[in-house]
Order: sequence, then C-alpha cells, then structure tokens
Amino acid sequence: MTAMASLAREALRRQQAFAAADEAALDGLISVRPPAGQPRPEPVWDDARVLEHTNVGQRYRRLVLATGTIARTALAGQFLMITVPPTGGERILLPRPMAIHRRHPDAGTVEVIYGVAGRGTIALADVAVGGSLLVTGPLGRGFEIPSDARTALLIGRGVGVCAIMASVEDAAARGVDATVVLSGRTRFDLIGVTDCAELGAAVIPVTDDDGSSSIPALGERLRAEFRDNPPAVILVCGAGVLARLAAELGAEWGVPVQVSLEAHMACGLGYCHGCAAPVATDPEVEGPLVCVDGPVFDAALPVSSL
Amino acid sequence: MTSAPPQHPTDARAAFFAARPTRSATVDLSVRIGSLTLANPVMPASGCFGPALGRLIPVAELGAVVTKTVFGTPRGGNAAHRLTEIRAGMVNSVGIPSRGAAGFLAELHPRYRELGVPVIISVGGHRPAEYAPVVRDLDGAGDAYELNVSCPNLDRLGTDIGSDPDAILAVVRAARQATDKPLIVKLPVLASSIADCALAAQEAGADAVCVANSIPALPLQPDTRSPALGNVIGGLSGPSIRPIVLRLVWLAARAVEIPVIACGGIETAEDALDYFAVGARAVQVGTASFGRPFAMVEIVRALQERCADDEVAGIRDLIDLWRAQ
Repeated sequence: MTAMASLAREALRRQQAFAAADEAALDGLISVRPPAGQPRPEPVWDDARVLEHTNVGQRYRRLVLATGTIARTALAGQFLMITVPPTGGERILLPRPMAIHRRHPDAGTVEVIYGVAGRGTIALADVAVGGSLLVTGPLGRGFEIPSDARTALLIGRGVGVCAIMASVEDAAARGVDATVVLSGRTRFDLIGVTDCAELGAAVIPVTDDDGSSSIPALGERLRAEFRDNPPAVILVCGAGVLARLAAELGAEWGVPVQVSLEAHMACGLGYCHGCAAPVATDPEVEGPLVCVDGPVFDAALPVSSL
Repeated sequence: MTSAPPQHPTDARAAFFAARPTRSATVDLSVRIGSLTLANPVMPASGCFGPALGRLIPVAELGAVVTKTVFGTPRGGNAAHRLTEIRAGMVNSVGIPSRGAAGFLAELHPRYRELGVPVIISVGGHRPAEYAPVVRDLDGAGDAYELNVSCPNLDRLGTDIGSDPDAILAVVRAARQATDKPLIVKLPVLASSIADCALAAQEAGADAVCVANSIPALPLQPDTRSPALGNVIGGLSGPSIRPIVLRLVWLAARAVEIPVIACGGIETAEDALDYFAVGARAVQVGTASFGRPFAMVEIVRALQERCADDEVAGIRDLIDLWRAQ
C-alpha cells in the first residue's frame, strides 16, 4: 500500500469512527417536543427565482431565493425541500431537505446554505442565478425560544448553523440576548459570522484546527462563560456530540435544550415515513419522524445518567 | 383537507390550484374498477401519498387516492436509514409502519374522507390468512381495497405471497368473502410468471390487478461500501424501473380480462400513455410525487389536454388513433 492510500484509508476510518460516535451521542437524548404554542404555517410549493448563488468558504454554497409566501410565514428552525433540477445529464429524484438560514419577509426572500457533499448537492451547485428552483415549505417543527427567556445560547456546527440562525433573528426581534457558538473545521469554514454581527448576537467562534471546538474545551469555556448567569434556553444543531454537551449543560444549569436533527427524506410532510428519528420505541409502535415531529426535538440526558 | 386557494395567487402552488382545466368537457377519462367508477385513471401508489398532500395539490382532481398499507395490528417499521437515492433510483425500506386497522379507522380514515375522491385502502398481511380479517375490519371504510401481496410469506419462508399463484388464490378468495367492494391485487415484480399471478387473482374474484411494486435491491454507501439502509435490503423505484414494469404490464394485460393498473416509474402523461398503449387501464404514481408534488394532477390535466388536442373522447380513442396511423 502506498503512503497516499494508507493516509486515505486512515482518514476514512477516522471519519467513520467519528460518524458512529456522533450518532451514538444521541442515544437516549431525544424526545418529541410538547405541542407548539402557535399553529404551523401552511406549507406551499413555489418556483423560487435564484437571486444569488455564491460560495461560502471552501465547502458551502449560499442560495438567495425569491419566495414571498415562505419568507413571510416560515418559523425559526423550519426547513425547505429543494428539488434539484436535471443538470449535466444527472437526474436527482428526491428533493433535499435544507434549513431556512435567513428570512427576509420584506424582500420576500429566504437564504439557504448547503454543503456540497453528494450527487444531489453537486448538481444543485450548478444552478444558475436567474433560474428557478422548486421549493416546498416551510416544513417541520422549529425552535422556540420560551416567551419568558431573556437570554439564549445557540450552538451550531458546520452547515448546522443554518438551522439556528432564524432563531438568532427571533432573539434580535424580541430583545433576547443571544450568544452564538459557531463551530467549524477552520475559521474560513465558519458559517454565520456576518449574520450574527448584523443581528447583534455575541459570537464564540471555535474551530478544529486550534482545538477550541473539542467538546472538553468548549464545555469548559461555556461553563466559565455562563457560571454566574446561565442562559434561559440552549438551541443546538450540527453534531450529536454537541447535542450531548448541550444536554449536559442544560442539566447543570436547569435549562431546557432543543436540538435540530437531519435525516434522509423523500416527502418532508410525513406521509412517506422515511425519516425515523433516533428514538428507541416499542417495535410495534412507529417512532417519531424527523420531518413532522421534528426536526427540532427536546434533548435531555437520560435519567440514569444524571 | 382540500384548502381553498387564495384569491390572488401569491406562489406557484396557489396559481396551480387556480388553474382549473377548461377543455375537459368533451373528454371522458373515466375508468371502471369493478363496481367503482373513477373520474380519471390517475392515483397515487400506496405509501407515496398521505392526506397532508391535500395541502399542496388539488387532490379532488385525481381519480382516487390509495392509502399506505394497513395491517391488522400495529407495526413499528424498520430502523433508520429507511431510504436512499442511488443513480438507478430511490431505494426504500420503510417497513410499512401501520397503526393497525383500528388505528387507521380512528386517526387516518376521517382525513382521507375529506379529500373528496374515492379512497382505496391498501391491505397487508404476514401470511395469506391475515388479509381477509383486515378487509372485514375495514369494511365500509374503503371504496375499494388493494391487497398488497408483495409481503414476505411467514407460512412459506423465502417467498413473497404475491409471487405464488396458490397463495394469491387463498388471499383473494378469502377477501372476496369479506367484502362486496372492488378488490385490486398489487403484484410484485419478482413473480416467476406475472401472467399466472394475474390469472390467479382474476380467478379468485379480483376486480383488477396492479402491476407492479418496487424491485428488491441492495444499495451501498459510495465511500464505505457498507449497506446504505438499516434493513440492508430495500425496494427500488423511480424512472429506471419503467421499462421493466412496462413489460410486466404488457404480459399481464394479455393474460387477464380485468383491468391492469400500471405502477412503475411514471413521471409524466407521456409515461402514462406508454402504459396505456400496452394495455393498462389506470396508472399509479409514486416516486415522482416526492420531487414534484403536483406530478399526479399535472398528468391528469395533460391527458385531458392531449385528448382535447387530438379531438378524441378518451384514452382508448387516442390509442386507436396511433394504431391507425
């Protein structure tokens, strides 16, 4: 085996081990949120004009889509199903679920940021400005900042930052002090720095290359930061290990934690039953679905580990 | 729930609701399935529809709706991941979670009834004897029943009920005793003889056969080559299976007198017309609805337009017209 092949194999092994550990971190953590205080907006589908389609860092693409109904009605943490048009001979059958990163109701636009990772997103990355995309939404159960909260801690990693950014908008609109952890591989990969600056949220940037994003380092930093004045709620998205850290902090501080999950989906409306949430249930009873019971769930440490 | 479209369309969905077909007066797309007459031959494939879709499309324009398969007792479904997409199409191993007949009647059936079209209830079983009791428990609820025999037969391990003409006879004869409503038998792709299976359904008193179902497949993850699905094996669907199912529909339609309903990779009216040309009398649309929720309604409207353009009364005349050329 050449040194190069050996390195590639080692990288793949590490990636698989990380993915397995990340999935395991959600064990026993997730439960369906109690009924929402407000009704969910009626979903629509729309031919959304692509107003901008730009690179974000090395690995992400940002879409600005003109879709007035969705921009006006979407709640924080809801998502879209984006149908990928045929390009370069590639046919993508299933729409891709993507978080609504920003809502601009006055302009009638939403922003979506996605990682270019597989066949679907590689094809999506070719969509030209001026064209249109078929989008369905807003979908799912989003994040809710409790009405009496004055402070909130939001934690996002990688493209998972997009699921929490509309809650930063909510926090700004309601005068809630938001502290936002933005986690990524390097500082060039961080999503949301300018959004947080615009929305007046305090940012804690953490990255893998300097070790600041490691769970022990981040945990220590947040415990020190909030020792005397814990946030009223924690919202998290982007990694199972971050959800577990958030649940540990929530237990220590006595505050609720909400986590947004992702899953492979076909319909986004619940009828295909394709996106089983990682919740252990009686084998004779269907468990919750990420698309309609989530994507936002409550996260709490199992009683046995408290 | 058929939601009223806004007065001034503000998004493509609202415009689609508002764009009611105008040229359908002279066209008759109706089709009979036993004692049931459908206004047109387009319906969803079981598992690819739910009442929630009534918020996105004018479901009342369809010929019928078909429910997800109902088993007698509740089932939880398979472990995640339940679906993936490969170049050949979509592969799912959802595992048919079901609330059971009682749960369906209490929770889902009222929502189906609000849609304003005939409701075909898909029925499943783990062995041939399980189907008729479910049909009996549901009677009065469905306008027709589709017997999903593409299920592993626990009485004869390693075979699907629907790949075995004797098992089909047993399922359909018992179900025939349980209801006067039309019975449709949904046959699997991997039968040794689709004609024999369709004939068995007809002999036992079925009013139609549906050909076919997804094709058993094993998708791998591209980087690790480990199974992409929690259940390892799933069912392949989408446009790639269309030529395979087109052959099966052709074979079945030559074998039986009862209507053949085609199901396999239909995305457009042109695809539906291919199936009509080989003998299908109705079509079911599955995977296409995920990427384009309005696909079924678009097919109905396009069939109406097509008949009106060619100045024929219906699809049979359209096919006769091609044959005459």
